[in-house]
Order: sequence, then structure tokens, then C-alpha cells
Amino acid sequence: MSPEVAHTTGSQAHQRPARLKAAVIGAGMLGIDLAHRISASSSLTCSLVVGGRNSVTGLRVAAEMGCATSTSGMDAVADADVDVVFDASNASAHPSHWADLASTGVLLLDLTPSSGGTMVAPTVNGHLAESGRHLSLVSCGGQAVLPVLDVVARHCGPKALQYIEVVTTAASASVGRASRLNLDEYIAITQYAVQKLTRDSLAMGGAVKVLANLSPALPAPAFRAEVAVVVSGVDLDALRADLEAATVAVRAFARGYEVVSCRVDGDMVRVTVAVAAEGGQWLPAYAGNVEIINAAAVLMAERHAAARKT
Amino acid sequence: MSAMETGRGTSGARVAIHDATLRDGQHAVRHQLAAEQMRAYAQAADRAGVPVVEVGHGNGLGASSLQIGRARLTDDAMLAAVREALTSSQMGVFMAPGWGTGKDLRNAVDHGADVVRIAAHCTEAAVTERHLGLARDLGVEAQAVLLMSHMVGPGRLAEQCARMVGFGAQAVGIMDSAGHYLPTDVTERIRAIAAAVDVPVIFHGHNNLSLAVANSVAAVEAGATIIDACARGFGAGAGNTQLEALVAVLDRMGHRTGIDLRALLAAADIAHEQLLDELPAIDSVSLISGLTGVFSGFKLPVLAAATAAGLDPLDIFAELGRRQAVAGQEDLIAVVVRDLTVRAQ
Repeated sequence: MSPEVAHTTGSQAHQRPARLKAAVIGAGMLGIDLAHRISASSSLTCSLVVGGRNSVTGLRVAAEMGCATSTSGMDAVADADVDVVFDASNASAHPSHWADLASTGVLLLDLTPSSGGTMVAPTVNGHLAESGRHLSLVSCGGQAVLPVLDVVARHCGPKALQYIEVVTTAASASVGRASRLNLDEYIAITQYAVQKLTRDSLAMGGAVKVLANLSPALPAPAFRAEVAVVVSGVDLDALRADLEAATVAVRAFARGYEVVSCRVDGDMVRVTVAVAAEGGQWLPAYAGNVEIINAAAVLMAERHAAARKT
Repeated sequence: MSAMETGRGTSGARVAIHDATLRDGQHAVRHQLAAEQMRAYAQAADRAGVPVVEVGHGNGLGASSLQIGRARLTDDAMLAAVREALTSSQMGVFMAPGWGTGKDLRNAVDHGADVVRIAAHCTEAAVTERHLGLARDLGVEAQAVLLMSHMVGPGRLAEQCARMVGFGAQAVGIMDSAGHYLPTDVTERIRAIAAAVDVPVIFHGHNNLSLAVANSVAAVEAGATIIDACARGFGAGAGNTQLEALVAVLDRMGHRTGIDLRALLAAADIAHEQLLDELPAIDSVSLISGLTGVFSGFKLPVLAAATAAGLDPLDIFAELGRRQAVAGQEDLIAVVVRDLTVRAQ
């Protein structure tokens, strides 16, 4: 990746389309995988990776990829004059990042579980990326289950869902320190996103509950999400067909996404999702949680870039 | 106690008993304890001088769910019932980040919880940082425990426990969530932990291999000073360390628990009559669950799934063990059942 690639507006390069310049905040597993994906994108270029003092290894990897690196936080982001910022830092730090960027023209994609931005999942409401300036990717669990719940909600109709429960299990090695500190926020924002998305379909008083497991099993298992919805009168065959279509749409950007099963169990519909990482050379296969949120974020930035050009 | 002939030894360590009857026992009755049951047992335990009475859903605060089992009572109702029954015993709660949240923890402290246990799977001590800090900020006793601890060795457990002390834990230790340990396993683990930290060390045993009391004794001899137990062993599958038996054994060995054994036996009788559907037993399924290292709390959901699918529950446990299922991953049971069914066809 050549760092001197032209800024998007103005001078159009002849050999390749102009790319939006992106900065990544966070040099953990999420941040470095993002840098890889941005570098591989035809409409983005990774101009900067910002890390904390403990991110020596991550920043070295980013530098080896040809990205500029810094430990100077948002000052470095401001100096880099970028079009897009991916925030993979910490939920508690995110609001100040938005405060710094709100008055600029920069697109901010939030990969931390903090509330504030417009919550997006590519196959559910990805069009919002075209006009949005502050987008929240919700959470890895949110990206895994929102496509499923969107289908279930549309399928069952208004006020039909009595209760929704989501349980995610990530491999220990796929979850970094910030994510561990942010477990409460992960649960809160995933619950909030599910509530918001299924608003019209959730019965009066219908609750949403999210639980999160980290598995120490070795070899590390792929990311899993279990969705249970209390609802009656489901046409299982029709639901399965709709889920199949939704899965195909998600697999277009996250190849390791799979609906393992969809079944009716008493007054419940249960859907099991597994997500393996297949889209990058860098991520281990078990880290499907990292892949799905990062692939979604890059796709949203690309969609935003395309809309800017037209 | 003086009325009981005990034949005491002389080792004389002070051991704090942590009574998990009204929390871990819930697994045996699908988390269906009612307020009056809780109140009756808590009063009796309080009378016996049990230092800490833990209460909650079997998997702790916030864990009532389709995945793990829905509790009859809300956390609020359980906490209120037990709080009003206790005069001298402290009220304990258990919270695993990911199942419960800081909000649940604050709520429990508002209800008068004195001792807070923050739990994580054996390699996941890092998830306790935030909530141990919160517990300390709230001014309660903050303890930390590692679940499914048989999955890693003594050095790793000691290192994880030391980290939790760094996060503010005032006592740390391990749970034998699968009932997999032999006494020698416990000895080397507790010894390693006790050498690595300068706070009290906790051991929590399950009885799948009929070793819960023996393992607890091994833990005490290796330096643990907080031991968990449940009246009549009330708990999932083969049950937990039997509280009254443990106290009697520790008493014979000359350790001091501060508990009145006669009053404790009365409390255990109340548990037997009012809490238990049946006495915990080491049946074939519980024995295999211990051998395969699967969380004891999976017993009832596995039996239900086995019956529905026409499978042998022992095969399901063996496969769950092979996949290293951890507590909280009850959704894996259905996956394993499906795979075994496909394989059988």
C-alpha cells in the first residue's frame, strides 16, 4: 500500500480510483485486522493506526504493513487529515473521539460498544451508511444476530415477539482487554440494538436479554450466537427460507457466517449462528467475532465512499 | 458444640464457611426456590452462626434466562427474602460478568449484600477487573473465583488469582465446577495459589467423584481458609460439598469454623425437608459428568435433551467434555444432540 495515494476529492488518480483516507484508533486484534482490511479495500487506504502505550506489537505490525503509526491519540488523527476514522479503542473513550470529530466532515465508525452513533448492520439497514456521519457497528454479537432477528421480526409480524434472548460465546483468545472491560456495555448496546430493531414486533413488555460467554476451550472454538425468541405460530419452513436468503447476504461480506440451525422448541424459535473468520490471512479461524464486525465496518465505509463520489 | 463429642485434632486453623445452599443449590431445583423456602433456611443458617449465606439464581445475579434456566423469583425478591432473615450472618452474592452486569451488582448491594463474589472461567480473570473495582468502590467485601478450574494447571490458576488480587479482590480461589478433582489436584493448586497471593484462598467443591469433603480438607491443609459448602450437598447433579459433614470433619480435625454444629444440623434438616426435591446422589450421569469435566449444572438440561432425542445422556456428556463446554454454554447441548443424532443415522 503506497501511503502517498491521493486524497479522494480533487486529483483523480488515473491508474486506480481515488480512495478515502482512513485512520484506525486501537492497535489490538480489532485495530490491526481493520488495517489489513482497509488496505485491501479498493476505495479506502489506511493512513494511520493509533495505539496506546501498550500497543507496541500492534503498532509494529501496522508499520510493517506500511501504515503510519502514532501513540499521540486524537492529535495524530487530526494531523493525518483523514476522511474516515474507525474507532476500535474503548467504549469509555469513544464519546470524546466523536466530540473531536463532530464538527469536521469525517465519517466516524464506532466499533466499541458505546451508544451515540446510528446503529447499522449491513444487510439490515446498511443504506444508512450513505448519509450517516457517526455510525455504530453495535457489537460483534449484534452483527451476528441482527440479520437473524430482522428476519424473525418481519416474519412474525407486529407485537408478536414475547421475549428475545441472545447468548454469544467467543474464544478467549479473540477477546482483548478493552472488550473484557466493556462487557457491561457490550450487553447493554446489543440489547438496545435488538430492542430498537425489533421495536414494532416486540410485544408490550417484551424484554430483550443478552448474555456473553468467553470460552477457554482449546483448540479455540469459532464464535457462536444463540438466538431464542418466544413467539407462537411460526411457519418454520418459510422462516428457514428467509433465513437462508439473509445468510447469503451476510456471507457476501463475511464468508464464515453460517446459520447452523433453526428450530421450534415449544413456544420458542431457536436459531444458532456460527461465525468463523475466513476473509483475512491474518485472523485465526476462531475469531469470527472480529471478522464480522470489522468486515461490516469496512463495508459501511466503502458504501459511504461510493455515495460521496456520486 | 461442647455437648458433641468430637475428638478434635490440634491443627487449629480458622476456616470461614461460605454457605452456597441458596445459590448453587438452585441448580438442583431448576432455580425454583420460593421466598418462604429461602427465608426458612437463611434463618436457620443464621442461627447456626454460618458466616456468609449466599443467595441468587444458580449462576448468580442477572443469570435468570432461557439459556441457563429462569428463576422463580427475581433477584430483588431473593435478596429481600434472605436479607430480612439474617441477623448476624453476612449476605453473599455471586456475579459472573457476561451473565450479570454492574447494574445487577449495585442493585444487590442496595439490597444489603455484604460479600460479593465476582466469577470468571479459569483463564478469564481479566473480565473481573471492572466489577472487582466496582465492588470495592461500593464498600463491600470483594472476592473472586475461577470457574471450571480443572481445565488449566496450578501455575496458570495462581497467576490468574494474583491478577484478581491486583484488581482489588480481598479473597481469591477456585471452583471445581465439574467435580473433576482428586485431592492431590486440589493440594497442588491451592498451594500454588496460596504462595502467589497474600489474601485468603477459596475452594468450592462438587461431589461427582465422592470427593468433595476430602477435596475441601485437602484445600484447607494446603492453605485455603474460605470453603464453600451446601446443606445436604444441595446442588446440581451429585451435589456440592456437604456443609454439615464438612463442618463436623473440620471440627474433628481441630479447625475452627465458629459454627454451632447442632444448630447447623437443624438447618440442614430444614434444607432437606423444605428445599430439596431429592437428595443429591452420584448416579451414572453425575459420575460421567465429573469424569468428563463438564459443569455439573448441565445435568438436568442434558437429561431433558437426551429423553427428547432418544439418546444416552452419557454419550452427550462425553461429547460435551470433548468440546470443553463451559458453564453458560447450555446452547451447546442442542448442538451436540443434533450431531450425535446425525451420526447415529
